[in-house]
Amino acid sequence: MSGYLSYFILIPMVYIAFATLIFGLIYRFYSIWKAPAPVGTGAIFPKKGSKVSGLIYDAMLVPMAYAKQKGFWFIIMLFHIAFFFLFLGHLELVADFKFIQIIPHRIFLGGGLVGIILMLTTLYFLFRRFGTPYREISIPEDFIILLVLFFCILFGSILHLAERYSDWGAVLRVDINVYRNWLQSLLLFKPQLSYNITELSHYTILVLHVLFANIFLMMFPFSKMIHSVFTFLAHYRKRN
Amino acid sequence: MEREKVLELKQVIGKKLNRPMLYYLDLCTRCGLCYDTCHVYQGIPKKEYSPVGRAEVVRRVFRKYFKPAGKFFPWWGDAHEFDENLMEELREAAFSCTGCRRCTMFCPFGIDMPYILGIAKELLIAYGNAPEELVMLADGAVEKGKSIDMFKEGFRGVIKDLEQEVQKLIGASSSDGLIPMEKHGANILFVGLSGAHSIIYPAAIFNAAKEDWTLSYFEAVNFGYFAGDTEKSNFIANRIINEAKALGVKEIVIVECGTAYRIPKFLMGPLPFKVSSIVEVIYRYIKEGRIKIKQGIVSEPVTWHDPCQLGRNGGIYEQPREILQIMANDFREMNPNCEYNWCCGGGGGLVALDNEEFRIKSGKPKKEQIEKSGASMVVTACENCHLQLSTISQGYNMGVKVESLTKLVGENLII
Repeated sequence: MSGYLSYFILIPMVYIAFATLIFGLIYRFYSIWKAPAPVGTGAIFPKKGSKVSGLIYDAMLVPMAYAKQKGFWFIIMLFHIAFFFLFLGHLELVADFKFIQIIPHRIFLGGGLVGIILMLTTLYFLFRRFGTPYREISIPEDFIILLVLFFCILFGSILHLAERYSDWGAVLRVDINVYRNWLQSLLLFKPQLSYNITELSHYTILVLHVLFANIFLMMFPFSKMIHSVFTFLAHYRKRN
Repeated sequence: MEREKVLELKQVIGKKLNRPMLYYLDLCTRCGLCYDTCHVYQGIPKKEYSPVGRAEVVRRVFRKYFKPAGKFFPWWGDAHEFDENLMEELREAAFSCTGCRRCTMFCPFGIDMPYILGIAKELLIAYGNAPEELVMLADGAVEKGKSIDMFKEGFRGVIKDLEQEVQKLIGASSSDGLIPMEKHGANILFVGLSGAHSIIYPAAIFNAAKEDWTLSYFEAVNFGYFAGDTEKSNFIANRIINEAKALGVKEIVIVECGTAYRIPKFLMGPLPFKVSSIVEVIYRYIKEGRIKIKQGIVSEPVTWHDPCQLGRNGGIYEQPREILQIMANDFREMNPNCEYNWCCGGGGGLVALDNEEFRIKSGKPKKEQIEKSGASMVVTACENCHLQLSTISQGYNMGVKVESLTKLVGENLII
């Protein structure tokens, strides 16, 4: 991969992706805030639980998905819990966090299982869309987002699994500080791409992983991924 | 489609983009969990009749004109511009939905699909493609609101005749004043429908309870809301609200009509008086001992149909059941019931349209529910549900009797 291109993906594009994510989310919330407030309520009865506890219950445990399709609910929960662990794991790539190390473990969190669960569940979501009636209601955005996410997780998992479990693990093993130096330099707005990174044996895989992650982050505020934040607003109105 | 028309339709969408509409339009993942929650889809399993299928028609034009991706990469979100076919799809989507919100309840993200279809209805009005029946009925109600003084004398004459019916029901010595009108400071302003039955039985109940009440000059039903015309809908609702304010009543009581109850109760913002359904008032009178009804008068197996606007969208579940259980020896629940209950298929003004074959098909889940309950009588408290349940009973040769709760109570008062 061209040096310029990989540099762009690992440094400027990361900034572009996070800026798009943050300002995109701010813009989306601002658009809603400045829109006219509705008259009346959108309540559904009975309103089980308090406004806050009920809202958290509805949005995070999706009881109606459980009521409708228990198997699908299980996969949804598995996916989202794994996603949460993925987030925690990436935090540890930036710095030490004691609350994540309550159960001492080697970085990255989950020993590879998190990525495998995410890959399998993402593939399930993808192939589910090829069957009736889901195929009929799917639009290109649905497939593209799942593909971007799948490739992001795939390359991320290759990085982790190869280092941890392959016969070449010792060769591929990366000192965590190599990642931390790069990510912390980004965070402190003093970006550095040292030879420790560019000379990694799996450098291309890292670049591809970051490329798909960047695309995913940039799409987040402007695609259906926004459901992860807007669902709280919708459930609140259902209980108001 | 002409550019001017497209611009006009775009403005229609723009006006509907309030806070909830913005997030409802964007947060659907098309997971498909709502797919079979719609009674219409159960009866006619086509994508066009699934909640997500309906909402997607609106989303396609929304994306086209309000999303940069829809403008530059329409394939990304299946964005579509206005044309004849799309307007027809919007009509199919909007007027096959009863607004029961069963899909809203099941949506894991809490999306209010009928709320989104409010855009479709408003677009159809602007395009001149809204159902003529509903538009005409809404116009009639608006006209009556504008020139109510012209209608008053004729209405009072009709009410005089109805007072005699009430007299027979409660065995009063005189019919005078049994249906009071324009009574300032009354406790209750009762809002009926155009049918005599919608006034006679509540009047009998109010008189038996010795209530200080007065009758509204207007009908509770809101055809402006059914048509999806926000302006007319608000005007029609405000006729009653202004009448109640002018009379200084403490409470308005809405006849057996689910939507007519939901609009002032939940969709008009805070009001200076209480809004109740006639079902709640009957229940209150029984609990307070103000009226007594004959126990066990209904001997045949009877079941209760939860009108969606009273139940799922209004929270009235227990009161009608308790009332019915006093009168019925063999009360049976349908399954599912309460918030999970299947819509009968008559709401949203659909019973006013020429669509009987469609409504019989979409009433299939309700038909199956009634059959499984083994009941030979279905009681409900919504005029639309009553009409639709009768259509289902006839359409499937079920031989099930459909009764109104207020009528049952009114006919079985112990005076």
